[in-house]
Amino acid sequence: MFKNYLKIAWRNLLKSKAYSAINILGLSVGMTVVVLIGLWIHDELTYNKCHDKYDLLGQVLITQTFNGEIGTGSAIAIPLADELRTKYGGDFDQVSLSSWNMERIVAYGDKKFTKEGMWVQPNFPDMLGLKMLAGSRSALKDPSVMILSASLAKSLFGKEDPMNKTIKINNKTVFTVGGVYEDMPHNTTLQDATFFGPWDNYFNSEPWIKNAVQNWGNHSWQLFVQMNKHADVSKVNAKIKDVPMQHLKASEGWDEHVLIHRMCDWHLYSKFKNGKIVGGRIQFVWLFGTIGFFVLLLACINFMNLGTARSEKRAKEVGIRKTIGSVRRQLIAQFLSESVLLALLSFIVAIILVQLSLPWFNKLADKDMSILWANPLFWLCCIAFTILTGLLAGSYPAFYLSSFQPIKVIKGTFKASRFSSVPRKILVVVQFTVSVMLIIGTIVVFRQIQYAKNRPVGYTREGLFQVSINTPDIYGHYDILRSDLLKTGVVANMSESSSPVTAVWSNQIGFDWEGKDPNATPLLGTIAVTHDFGKTIGWKIIRGRDFSREFGTDSLALLLNESAVKLTGIKEPVGKVIKWNGKAYTVIGIVKDMVMQSPYEPVQPTLFTLNYDWTSIITVKINPETSMSRALAMVEPVFKKYNPGSPFDYKFIDQEYARKFESEERIGKLASFFAVLAIFISCLGIFGLASFVAEQRTKEIGVRKVLGATIFNIWQLLSKDFLLLVTIAFIIATPLAYLFMHNWLKDYEYRTILSWWIFAVSCAGALLITIATVSYQAIRAALNNPVKSLRSE
Amino acid sequence: MLELKHISKWYNVGGKPTFILKDINLKINDGEFVSIMGPSGSGKSTLLHIIGMLDDASEGEYNFMDQAVHTLREKQRSQLYKQHIGFVFQAYHLIDELTVYENIETPLIYQNIKSSERKAMVADILDRFQIVGKKDLFPTQLSGGQQQLVGIARALIAKPRLLLADEPTGNLNSRQGEEIMDLFKQLNKDGVTIIQVTHSEKNAGYGSHIINLLDGRVEQ
Repeated sequence: MFKNYLKIAWRNLLKSKAYSAINILGLSVGMTVVVLIGLWIHDELTYNKCHDKYDLLGQVLITQTFNGEIGTGSAIAIPLADELRTKYGGDFDQVSLSSWNMERIVAYGDKKFTKEGMWVQPNFPDMLGLKMLAGSRSALKDPSVMILSASLAKSLFGKEDPMNKTIKINNKTVFTVGGVYEDMPHNTTLQDATFFGPWDNYFNSEPWIKNAVQNWGNHSWQLFVQMNKHADVSKVNAKIKDVPMQHLKASEGWDEHVLIHRMCDWHLYSKFKNGKIVGGRIQFVWLFGTIGFFVLLLACINFMNLGTARSEKRAKEVGIRKTIGSVRRQLIAQFLSESVLLALLSFIVAIILVQLSLPWFNKLADKDMSILWANPLFWLCCIAFTILTGLLAGSYPAFYLSSFQPIKVIKGTFKASRFSSVPRKILVVVQFTVSVMLIIGTIVVFRQIQYAKNRPVGYTREGLFQVSINTPDIYGHYDILRSDLLKTGVVANMSESSSPVTAVWSNQIGFDWEGKDPNATPLLGTIAVTHDFGKTIGWKIIRGRDFSREFGTDSLALLLNESAVKLTGIKEPVGKVIKWNGKAYTVIGIVKDMVMQSPYEPVQPTLFTLNYDWTSIITVKINPETSMSRALAMVEPVFKKYNPGSPFDYKFIDQEYARKFESEERIGKLASFFAVLAIFISCLGIFGLASFVAEQRTKEIGVRKVLGATIFNIWQLLSKDFLLLVTIAFIIATPLAYLFMHNWLKDYEYRTILSWWIFAVSCAGALLITIATVSYQAIRAALNNPVKSLRSE
Repeated sequence: MLELKHISKWYNVGGKPTFILKDINLKINDGEFVSIMGPSGSGKSTLLHIIGMLDDASEGEYNFMDQAVHTLREKQRSQLYKQHIGFVFQAYHLIDELTVYENIETPLIYQNIKSSERKAMVADILDRFQIVGKKDLFPTQLSGGQQQLVGIARALIAKPRLLLADEPTGNLNSRQGEEIMDLFKQLNKDGVTIIQVTHSEKNAGYGSHIINLLDGRVEQ
C-alpha cells in the first residue's frame, strides 16, 4: 500500500511540475535556512567544548564600582593568584596567571611573523588540555622554552622538525621550542593564541610587572582556574568574593569583588550587570533560532496553502478512492506520505544549497562551519526534522482533503465552500506578518549602524595608519624616525601614544582636584601622547591650547576631553590643577570629545598627558595628495631601518574604526538575508495561490470579460484580496516590530529613533512585492480568451 | 439481498424540506438485474447512492444482506460495501495518475490482499476483459469505452455480489454502449446482482426488472 502511495505521489509530482517546483523550492529554501542556523547554533553551543576540562575551567573576574557604575572585567592583580592557590587550594586544582593575548614578533632565522600568544604559568597547557603533537604539556616549567601551535610551527620551520629549535621573540629574547600543539578549533575563546610562553620569563622581563607582585591595585593580568571536581562554584564564589577587599582596605572608596566565570559561560553568557550575568550572545542563539523556526514555518505554510488550494483537483481522486473502499485513515496516510516524500526531496535540495552557500555564510557569520557529514546525530536530527516538517506541512491538507464526502465529488456538486479559504488567508497573513517584521527589523538595524557611522568622531580618520612599537630597537628614536618619515615627502605627520586612536587601553584612579567629592573615586581614561599627536590625528582644541614644544612645563600639563570636564565639574578648567597620584598637573586645554571606543556609547572621560616613554603605538598621517600604496612603499624602508627585527605591519585607522561596526553589521546582514528569504518564500506562496485562484475563477473571468470587463478590472478583482491580506499583516506586524526593535535599540546609548517612515517603507515594499507577484497571474488570467475558458465548461 | 423500507431523503432549502426521495419501498433479490429509470431530477442517482452506502437516507430502514445498514457505523459500513459492492460511473472516475493495472488493483490494496494474490486476480480480470495489452497505459490514453471497461473491471475485481452502475453508457457511443450492456448481461448470468440507473429504454431492456421513479416516488 505504501508503495502505491509513493507511486501516486511521484506521479503527481511530475504531473504538476510548476506546483511541485514551488513547493520543493519553498520548502528547501526554508530547510536550508534551518540547517544553516542549526549549524550556527551548534557551533555556538559547542564553543570551547574542545577543552576536556570544559566543566571545571573558569576565569577569575573582578567587579568594581567607578563613577557610580558597576563594571565587571577580567583584569586582575598578581597577588590574587597566590592567595587562591594557597588559601583556597581545596577548591582549585590548578591556578594559572596569564598575560593578555598579545602580539609578538616571532622570528626564526629570516622568517618573521607578528603573532598573538600568551604568557602563562607552566600548568596552563595542561588545564586547557592542549593536544600535543610534539613535546609535553609541562614544557613551560623551563622558563626558556615556548610551545607553538602547529600552524605557527609550520610557517616558521616548514618541514623541519620544530623541536629544540631556537626562536627569537621581539628581536630580544631567545627561546627553545619545547612543544607543538594542535591548533585549537575556531570556536574556542583562545583560538588566537598561537603560542604559549613561560610566565616567569615574561614576569622578569619588565620591572613594572615585577614590581606588581604584591600590588593589589595593579590590574593588568588574567587569572584562570581549574575547579576541584567537588567544588560548588556558587559556594566558592561566596567564599572568595571579598578576598581583594581584605588587602585594599587602605584606599578609600574602593570597592572590588572577585567571581569565577565558568568556561561554559564564557562565550554565550558574558554580559554582566551589577556583577551578575545578564546574558550575552545567547540572545542571538535565541534570536536566530526563532528566525529559523519562523522561516521554516513560512515554508510549511506555503505547503499547506498550496496543498489545500489544489483540493478541488484532488477531490475527484479522494471521492473515487472512498467509493472503492478507502477509509479516511488510509487517505490521510496517503497524503502524509506524499508530503513526507516532498519534504525528503526538499531536504536533499536543501543539503545541496547548504553546501553551496556555506562558504558565503561562514564569511557572513565569521565562522568556519561545515556540514557534519560524519556525525550520525546530525543526520538523525535532519531526518527526524524533515519527517516532522513533512507531517506538519502535510497535516492540514491531509485532514482537509480526506474529509471530502465522496458523493459530492462524484456527483460533481463539489465546490469548496466560501469559508474553506479562511484558514488559507490566515496563513498568508501570518506569512506576511513575519516578513514585514523582518523587513522592519533589517531597516532598523542598518539605520542604527548608519546612525553610529555618521556620528562625528572628533578627529580625521583619512590617511592615518598605525604601527605598534613592538621591539626595543625603535625606542628612543622618536625624533630621528619622525624627521626621516617627514623627509620622504609623503608623510604629513607622525606621533606616538600609549593607546591607538581607536581604543583607550588604560583607565586609572587616584585623581584629586579642588572641589572634588571626597567619597568619589573617579575613573578616567589615561592616554600618554607626544607633542605631535593632536596635529597628526586632527583633534579639535575647544579651549586653551595643545601641547607645545615651546612650553617646557608641558610635561606636567594635561588635556581633558569634554566628558572629563563634565565629570570633574570644574567650571573653568583651563589653568586649574589636577592631582594625579599626588603629583600636580595643570590643565592647559580641552579637547573636543573623540569617539575612540564604542560608537554606540557616550565618550568616556579621558585625559591626555605628555609622555615619551609610555608609548606603544606610532600613528602616521599621510599627505592627502599621496596615494596610500605609494606612501606605504616610501615609508616601509624607514621603519625597516629603525626597527629591523620586525615585519612592517600597519593598520589603517579607518579600517580599525570600521571594525567597531562588524558585530552589528553581521547581525544586519544576517537579518537581511533571512528577511529576503522570508519574503521570497512568502512570494512563492502567494504566487502559487494566485495561480490557483486564477484557475478557479477562469469561468468567472470569462463571463466578466464577455460582459465587458477590462484587463485592469480583472487584475483589480484578483489582486484586491491579496492586498487586503498584506495590509492586515502589516497592521499586526507594526506594533510587534516596534516593540522588538525598541527593545533592541535600548541596549545602545547612542541610538537612532524609530521613525514612522521605516514602517511606511516596509509596508509599501510588502505591497509592491505582492502586487508584482500577483499581477503576473492576474494579467495572464485576464488575457485569456474568454471563448476558450467558457467552452471548456 | 437488500430491502428498503420507507426510505426518504430531503434537503432543507430555505427552511423547508425539499424531498428527493419519498417513502421508497424496495426489495431486490440475489441474481436480479434491475434498471432504475426516470427523468432528470427524479432521484435515481440518489437512490443508487443510498443503496451503495455512499449517502445516508434521512429516514427509513435499509437492510443489506441481513444487516441493518442505517444502524451501522461508518467503518463497519465501509467494510460491508468494500466486500460486497462494486461501482461503475458514467464518467468512469478512474484515477488519472494510475495505470490501468494499478487502477484495477487499488480496491484490493484497500482490502489488504497480499501482493502475489493481487497480481493473480488482476491478471485474471485483464485477461477476461481482453485488456492485457492496455495494462500499462494511463486512463487518458484510452477511449471512452475502454475506460469504462477498466471501470467495470475495477468494480468487479474484489468479486462483489452487487454491482451498482450509474448511467454506465451515458458517455459512450451506441456501439460501445451495447458492448457494455452485453457484458453486464453476461455478468448477471454469472451470478452478480446488478442495479443500473439509465435513461435509455433499450438499456433498461437488458434488465430483468424496471423501477420507474418520478419526483422521488416509485411509479407502480
